[in-house]
Formats: sequence, C-alpha cells, structure tokens
Amino acid sequence: MYTRILVGFDGSEGAERALNAGLALAKALEAELHVIMVEEDLPKYAATIGEYDEVKQQRDAYFAQLERQVHLAAQLAEVPVQTHIVTGHEVWSIVDFVKHHQVDLVVIGHQGHSTLHERVFGSTASSIVAHVPCHVLVVK
Amino acid sequence: MNVWWTAFIWIALALAASLVSVRLALSVALAEILFGVLGGNVLHIQPNEWINFLAGLGGVLLTFLAGAEIEPEAMRQHWKAALAIGFVSFLVPFLGAMAYVYYVAGWEPNAAKIAGVALSTTSVAVVYAVMIETGMNRTSLGKLILAACFVTDLGTVVALGLLFAEANIWLLVFVIVLAVTLAIAPSLTRWFFRMVSAHTSEPQIKFILLLLLMLGALAVKAKSEAVLSAYLLGLVLAGTMAKNRDFMHRMRTMTFTLLTPFYFLKAGSYISLPALWGAAGLISILLVVKIAAKVVGCYPLCRAYRMPHREATYTTLLMSTGLTFGTISALFGLTHGYITQLQYTVLVTVVIGSALVPTIIAQTFFKPAVEEEVERESAPVMQQQASVAYEDR
Repeated sequence: MYTRILVGFDGSEGAERALNAGLALAKALEAELHVIMVEEDLPKYAATIGEYDEVKQQRDAYFAQLERQVHLAAQLAEVPVQTHIVTGHEVWSIVDFVKHHQVDLVVIGHQGHSTLHERVFGSTASSIVAHVPCHVLVVK
Repeated sequence: MNVWWTAFIWIALALAASLVSVRLALSVALAEILFGVLGGNVLHIQPNEWINFLAGLGGVLLTFLAGAEIEPEAMRQHWKAALAIGFVSFLVPFLGAMAYVYYVAGWEPNAAKIAGVALSTTSVAVVYAVMIETGMNRTSLGKLILAACFVTDLGTVVALGLLFAEANIWLLVFVIVLAVTLAIAPSLTRWFFRMVSAHTSEPQIKFILLLLLMLGALAVKAKSEAVLSAYLLGLVLAGTMAKNRDFMHRMRTMTFTLLTPFYFLKAGSYISLPALWGAAGLISILLVVKIAAKVVGCYPLCRAYRMPHREATYTTLLMSTGLTFGTISALFGLTHGYITQLQYTVLVTVVIGSALVPTIIAQTFFKPAVEEEVERESAPVMQQQASVAYEDR
C-alpha cells in the first residue's frame, strides 16, 4: 500500500513514538523508510555570518546525535533507513521533501502543546496534515 | 547615576535581548536594537562616555568580523561578476535614496549622503542564512551572490569613510598607513600567531585590537570613520582567520558578550517611537525606493550574466537586504550631527524593514529549486543531506 514512508524526527517523545511506528510499518509493508530532521531554530536576520554559523554548528552536533539514534533504532528493527537533516521551517521543509521525493505516507508524533498554544500558534502536526499531498499518520 | 547602576541596566537589557533572541531564534543584534528602543523610550536610558566607547569599539570589531568572513576563493572565482553586481548594488541605491531624500523629502546634503550610504547596503549574514536554508551556499550562483554582497558592503564602508573625510595632511597619513598596514598585515599576523599561541591572556586578540585601534585613531584624526579600516583589515586577513577558527570564535564571543550589546542597544535607544508613527509614510516609501533601486541596478545585470528570471529576481531581492552596515551608517550620521533623531529613526527602521521584507518575498515567491542540483553534486548539503542506509555504515 505504501512504498515510501517519511518520519519527522526531532528527538522528542512524540517523535520517538512516530519513529517506532514508522519502523514497524516500513518492515511490515517492505516500504522504503526516510527520516527527516529539521534544524529550524537558527538565528534569523543575523548581524554576521559567524553569529549564524556558531549556532548552526551546535545544532549540527545535536542532530548528528539524533541521526545516530535513528540508525541504531533502525538497526535493531532490521529496517534500512535513509536520514536527511535539513535547515528551514519545520512544516515547509517536510512538505517540500514530500513533494520532491514522492512520499506516500508521513508519520509524525503529536507534541501535546497546551490548548492555548495550539489555538494561538496551531500545532506542527495539524499544519503538516493540512499541507502535505499524501496520507499522514499522527502518533500519540 | 552611579556607574554600576548604569552598567547593571544596560547589561540587564542585553541579557533580556539574548534570552529573547534564543527563544525566538532571532538575531541577537535585532533583539538588542528592539530592547534598545524599549530602553530609550520607556526607561529613558542615555549613552554616556564609557558606553559610547564600548559601543564604538563594538561597531569596529563587528565590522572587522564581517570583513573577515569573506571567502577569498569564491571572490577569486567570480570576481568579475561579483564586482559588477556588487558595485551596481551599492551605487544605484546610494544615488537613488540620496536623490529621493534630497529632492523630494528635502533633507540637507549631508543627511542625504547618510541616507544614501545607509540604504545602499546588503546584509551578507541575512543572505548567507537564506542560502544555507535553500542549499544555495554550495552552488556557484550562491557563491557569486555572497561575493557580490561583500563588494556592496565594501562600497558602503568606503563611501562612509571618504564622503565625510577632510582633505588634509592627516587623511594622507591615514591612507598611507592604511595601505602599508593592509599590505603587511597578513604576513605579520601569520608570523605573530605562529610566535604566540593561544593563551588565557589572549595576546592574539590584543594584537588584532592594536592594529584596529591604531588605524581607528588615524581615521578619526582624518575625520574619516574607523569602520572603513576595520572592514578592509578584515578582508585582507580573511584567509588567515579562516585557518584560525578557534581564534575567531574567541574574538566573536568577546565582541558579542561585552561590546556589541552596547552598540546595538545604543542604536535602538535613539529610535524615537513617537517619531516612528509620524514618519510611517516616509519609511514605507524609502523601503520601496531601496528595493526598487536594487531591482533597477541588479536585475538587468543578473540577467546579463545569464541568470534565469527566477534566480535573477531572487538574487536581486537578497541584495536588497540590510542590517549591520545600514545601522552603522545611520548611527555614524547621528553621532556626527549629520542627521536628526527623526531622520535616524526613519533610516534605521527602513534598514530593519529591509532585512525582513525582501527576504520574506524572496523566500515565499522566488525560491530557486536547487535541492536537486545539490543532491546530484552529492556534496555535504550543509552537512545535512546525509542519505546513508544503515547497512552501509
């Protein structure tokens, strides 16, 4: 049914549940599994390149650690995985990836923000559901 | 006011700005300017002599760091196109903004010159961040755009340094000493860095400070501006600095912790909120003038260098951004009495607007599709597109 699955991963508890679900689905369906990690909190409108680069290096180190975590989980589940670390807005980076790589299922975790937060800012999960042109599995 | 109390208030604002910038993923410079606005308009903070010195030194070091970030190799590869696009990107907005405020808004000639310089800039750092997001930083188009941005900023600091200088013996002395220093600085710095390794007392940073302060002292004596020599020194030392990343990190930490907060808070404190509302029309028009002038200057050149419409528009919009040098130019004008506080408020607001508006338009409507190119190159997309199956590891 699904041939290419994408999991959004940021190291949170919700994302870990999504990763586990993605691994199980990919194994059961023999689908290609991709995991995307988005570095989104880099300083906007920086005064110097160095200001941006220093934060970027910290984020790169953190996401490299997450990447190792994903590969370890995939190894244990015996599922091949391709990881992608990209920079940008969390929602639009995932939407762009889906469009460019013909993904047919996106698996994401539910963050569980407060009702007020979700009313004001909306949740990442609902934004992804609204904008990706494929099926989405939100794991709670 | 007790000096410790003054320092406490300024550092409290700087700390608040840092926390907000981290939380909102916003540049600390922008956050400090905004907290400076708050400090100036609500707490009524006023820079005194020692704050002015720290702020001035912060501006000089910030300019040096900005100059030292150039990639000499990229500049060598694309020097012809970068010079053409970068120079036009400086000249047309400089003339356009200057003409508009002089002929239409009725500003004094010196105020018009400051407006021209402040609105001619391009923010290299804003452009760089956008390129990292799109992956364009590794494409030849991306390298060309960045090199052109450095040329634009060079035009800005040269204009700022020379437009208001007095033609006297000190200017001649300054130019000669500057030329000699720039010629010998790379080899002298390499030699010094080899002789003296990194140490808690930071002799390497003190050496660079020594050069900057010597040139700054002569620049001020010649009625020029210390940022000119700082930027040029940064440019000639860029290759050496690229090999001393740890040194750059330490220098950046010192600058951003102790000096630039005073600079950006001071820059923000002079923005008058009541004046802002009254000048909203002029601010909007000047923002349009800046972007329109960049379009008139850069777009045809980009097309002449065979960029497709989308890439040419994207490049032009990115060249329309501004922040650091625009603020530096406006603050120079205010502190030297060339512009009023109202004019300063207008210019800095336009500068901040130019960091935001063109970037948003470029990212939303003209983002070039470069991902495929990057993947084909299988270069380390920001170290980011690490597509490796686990069994390959």
